[in-house]
Amino acid sequence: MDVQEAVAESTSVASAEDNGDARRGGQRKFTMGPNDSLEGKLVYEGDVHVDGRAEGEFKVSGNLDVAQGATARISIEAANVTVKGQVEGSVNVHDKLTLGKNAKLSGDIVVRRLQIEDGASLNGHVRMGDIEQHGSGG
Amino acid sequence: MATFEWETLSSTAPAARNRTPAPAGNGSDGAQSSIVLGPRDRLVGQLYVEGDVRVAGTVEGGLEVTGSVEIDDGGRVTGPVTAQDRLVVGRSGSLVGDVRVARLVVQDGATFSGKVSMGKQVEAPPKPVEPPVAVPEPVKAEAPVKAEVPATVAEPVKAPVPVKTPQPLKGQRNPQQFQSPKPPDRKGKRR
Repeated sequence: MDVQEAVAESTSVASAEDNGDARRGGQRKFTMGPNDSLEGKLVYEGDVHVDGRAEGEFKVSGNLDVAQGATARISIEAANVTVKGQVEGSVNVHDKLTLGKNAKLSGDIVVRRLQIEDGASLNGHVRMGDIEQHGSGG
Repeated sequence: MATFEWETLSSTAPAARNRTPAPAGNGSDGAQSSIVLGPRDRLVGQLYVEGDVRVAGTVEGGLEVTGSVEIDDGGRVTGPVTAQDRLVVGRSGSLVGDVRVARLVVQDGATFSGKVSMGKQVEAPPKPVEPPVAVPEPVKAEAPVKAEVPATVAEPVKAPVPVKTPQPLKGQRNPQQFQSPKPPDRKGKRR
């Protein structure tokens, strides 16, 4: 099982149980800070807030957002994704992807709904439609 | 005679002045065109516009625009879009095709599929830098030489000479080379 074999390099990710892993209305949330970094594969049931530096593979049942100033070289699979920082990697979104005005995304996108704000930068293929995947859909 | 000339000039002058706005519009500093394709309009083919384009109808083909492109109000574009400024796909717009733009706005609800290239990135960057392609040329030259062999015996010796020595470009100057005012033009002689 290579689930949650994430390698935490800083204190606050390591103490995710206390700070990062908070519950909000029954929904768990994994929160990284601007000085945190994560390398590896993360499979998470809940929402993930990416900040600082991330590298690897993120599979999230809820929403994933990449903060402004964050650098992520990750492949993403999530229900909804909001990017305000830099992302390099493929992005599979079950519902909606939003690129904020400072977002930089290079990678291929599969998404159902797409919103790109003026100022965002995008390089890659965009395919709209449902993601072919087994199990939890929609 | 003089009057006739004057009359000719004076009569053409206003006509020329009337015509000038059209060429000026094509210039970069002239008035830029703005094209609107309404919901019942349809374009099949390539469109190049110095200015802006707004599509509320159907476009099947390529759009190349120096300004911005807006696809909305049920507008549908199938084909590549290049905009030097901005591309907006509105909430009821649809675009299927590769896109090369400086700025891109996609509103929630829009349909969009294709490859997006923004910024200074050149298309197909992973290709390694290739050395100057000199290999296939001798092969190409040899083929006709071989064919000519039965016809002329002396030809094969001469033929490879101009091919082997790459002709120096006009701009390039090799200081080590002896510079003669008139470089020998073998190709011209052969011909």
